[in-house]
Amino acid sequence: MDIIKIIGIGLVSLILIIIIKQYKPEFAIYVSLISGILILSLIIDKLTSVIALLESISNKVSINNNFLGILLKITGIAFLSEFAVSICNDSGESAIASKIEIGSKIIIITLSIPIISNLLEIIINILP
Amino acid sequence: MNIDLLFKIAAIGILVAVLHQVLVRAGREDQAMMTTLAGIVIVLTMVIKEISTLFNTVRTIFNL
Repeated sequence: MDIIKIIGIGLVSLILIIIIKQYKPEFAIYVSLISGILILSLIIDKLTSVIALLESISNKVSINNNFLGILLKITGIAFLSEFAVSICNDSGESAIASKIEIGSKIIIITLSIPIISNLLEIIINILP
Repeated sequence: MNIDLLFKIAAIGILVAVLHQVLVRAGREDQAMMTTLAGIVIVLTMVIKEISTLFNTVRTIFNL
């Protein structure tokens, strides 16, 4: 049912953008931003249940929890930076979009350093 | 967080476009520029409020 809401918002904002783009192109960016935010807020309600499920599973299997925390942070960063990158690409500013992308990649790498070091230790222990 | 915000922004955009044309026809280009800027600032404040709510929800969910 929610997919109909998402498609409806997308199509309505598409039509509004086409109308406004002829007269005032500045407002077209605002309409696309607002429709992006509306759709993302619909999606976020679903994400909370998925994250609760992940946490319950990780508690049961007793993987050390900070890895799950890091993974959640990385998905959050990817989620937000993809939102900004697509808005910048839409308005034609691919330079800014690539800067945001590079920034988010570097932040994700710095966040995942503990995981990588842990993995290397495990590998070193395995090797004879 | 509902859809009438979308229509509100579209309405402001069209209104500013019409006002711009009317003022330009009336020979007052500077006031036309002022109304356009005012419309952009109003819509910007509304959009920034929505963006901050989105960022706060994402921050709380992914505990960034």
